[in-house]
Amino acid sequence: MKIMTCPINGPRPISEFITAGAVKPMPNPQTADDLTWADYVFNHDSVPGVKREWWCHTPSNTWFIAERHTRTDEIVRTYLWEAA
Amino acid sequence: MPLRLLKFGLVKSYPESRMFRQRDRLRPTYDAVIIGGGGHGLATAYYLAKDHGINNVAVLERGYLGGGNTGRNTTIIRSNYLTPAGVKFYDQSLRLWQALSETLDLNLFYTNRGHFTLAHTEASLRTLRWRAEVNKHYGIDSEVVDPQTVQAACPHMDLDCGGAPVMGALYHAPGSIARHDAVAWGYGREADRQGVEIHQQTEVTGIRVEGGRVTGVETIRGAIATPKVICAVAGFTPRILDWVGLRSPLKIHPLQAMVSEPMKAWLDPIIVSSSLHVYVSQTARGELVMGASLDPYELHSTRSTLDFAEGLAARMLDLFPFLSQAKVVRQWAGMADMTPDFAPIMGKTDIEGFYLDAGWGTWGFKATPICGKTMAETVARDRNHELIREFSLDRFSKYALVGEKGAASVGH
Amino acid sequence: MTLLTSPLADVLRSRPGTRQELNQMSVLTQVPDPKPAETLGLADLSYLTRFGVKGPQSASWLSAQSIPIPEQPNTWAALPEGGLIARLGRSEFLIEDGPDSQTVPRLAAACNSPPAQVYPVLRQDAAIALCGQATQNLLRQTCSFNFQSLNLTEHPVILTTMVGVTVTVIPQPKSHHPIYRIWCDNTFAPYLWQTLAEITTELGGTIIGTQDFIPYTGQMP
Repeated sequence: MKIMTCPINGPRPISEFITAGAVKPMPNPQTADDLTWADYVFNHDSVPGVKREWWCHTPSNTWFIAERHTRTDEIVRTYLWEAA
Repeated sequence: MPLRLLKFGLVKSYPESRMFRQRDRLRPTYDAVIIGGGGHGLATAYYLAKDHGINNVAVLERGYLGGGNTGRNTTIIRSNYLTPAGVKFYDQSLRLWQALSETLDLNLFYTNRGHFTLAHTEASLRTLRWRAEVNKHYGIDSEVVDPQTVQAACPHMDLDCGGAPVMGALYHAPGSIARHDAVAWGYGREADRQGVEIHQQTEVTGIRVEGGRVTGVETIRGAIATPKVICAVAGFTPRILDWVGLRSPLKIHPLQAMVSEPMKAWLDPIIVSSSLHVYVSQTARGELVMGASLDPYELHSTRSTLDFAEGLAARMLDLFPFLSQAKVVRQWAGMADMTPDFAPIMGKTDIEGFYLDAGWGTWGFKATPICGKTMAETVARDRNHELIREFSLDRFSKYALVGEKGAASVGH
Repeated sequence: MTLLTSPLADVLRSRPGTRQELNQMSVLTQVPDPKPAETLGLADLSYLTRFGVKGPQSASWLSAQSIPIPEQPNTWAALPEGGLIARLGRSEFLIEDGPDSQTVPRLAAACNSPPAQVYPVLRQDAAIALCGQATQNLLRQTCSFNFQSLNLTEHPVILTTMVGVTVTVIPQPKSHHPIYRIWCDNTFAPYLWQTLAEITTELGGTIIGTQDFIPYTGQMP
């Protein structure tokens, strides 16, 4: 069983978590042109490596950041957004 | 055929030649290089040579032929999609499939089984009606049927499904299965006969682009000059796109599947339940081939998990409780390159001479012949084939998506 | 006055036993043979009154109502008159009365017009209790969390999933074996209960009433 460590609840099976994908800065929707916005909405940096992702421990609804290697599935570290 | 078989019994050495020649070295130049020796790449090579007379072509495969998603899918072939673009495309594919064993002169074990997509809720029944209407409009054999019809075609199914009763199904009579490895071998053999070179164990390490135009590829066996590169590498696409500086919405998720021990033939049709996240068919060998949803998060790996096997087995038992003693003998995964709209990414790109055949997520096997056909024409004429125009990479920056998610086997 | 219904009323309807009206709810209080509960007992405590509150000022507001506040998120404390308070996050609390305390009605009344940044949360959970020697066995079959790794003197509150259902669990140290209190959303309650009940029966335990449960709780709820 794969274990992820929630910064609040501690180590838990991965089935207790969901992910919302990569952490990426949002361009200003008022000023961004259509191309920039489409790039933000659709495109994704899929080259494998250590990525920062939003994860949520669903039973406690704790959102946090996980740094995870998308090829080896190694979870490097997890922390709350404020601590970033 | 029987006479041909006879010689296998009478001669001492194996009387058939190898499926394709082992080339000892790469040529310095080719008219086109295809990265990826899976069904799509080999079919493209075949049609390039056969339909367009372009046979100075190399297919470069980092592993072995058909060892990627071509050999890792659940072999289901159907055309009951949701969007007009998708329906037209997969319909042409199905027509090619029906004649493919003849075309390739190889028994692909293509068998027409009929395909049921079960609905357990009013909402999914509604999507199925929608799909049936789109399908019928384009002349696809597709209709919504009642639970009794499902039961008659599949007497072993428990229609109660562990508390989520079957309310109806989309029946697609042409739904079929085929031997997936044979498809790669067949296309490989015929491409080879046309003069195409197949190089296994030849990993591509870079693509040369000068002035917005492809000039060659680098491989672990040396560099090759070529004006045209076709990228058909499924889960490895993002790494190659990164070399040439193209952005894409592809996300790689493992898609797992498993087979049971062989058993007596009892399941004729292909059964899909989107609510239960199950699709299953029985092979000619008697194994049940079972698939389910994608793994829930991005991962560039073909590892298997116990979670998947447990979950799929539990839902299989909702459909077929009598299988509780059946054994699972193999489990595997492929790397599915998913797009946000569940439609592929095909055709020309902003880089001249760089052609993309990607975004095949969980729906690529059934498209193998038509992909080869349309990509070959696109490459030969340097113009997107009519059938794939809506699948181009720039559809995302134009917000012109092809919403095909409703036609995915299971709610991924 | 309207009679309230436990989320588990339907699945418990056919169980033989004594029923009593408690907190405006018809409650199974005693079953004919509660003895197997020494092995494993499963009880529906949904009748206990419950109150939820969240918001940046909720902790100070609760203090002002003379409620003890557990210092860390995911810990709990006993209430002086009976019942407990669980801290579910930095600013979210669950308060549940014991069989005889009246804390929740008092808090609910005080929260009729809540001050700024204090938000009452409707809690219509199913509340389940487990007791007996075989609780660990049942937990291992239904939940991936290792309850034996816990230090119960720290009063931990566990937010996890059991057979796929999101649950809040509090283990309470008792004389021989801890009892486990489990709360879940009422819509999932019948499924969770039936699964737990099946395993309880398999392990030689039984469903018991709220009165039958009292010997296992000592002074607690």
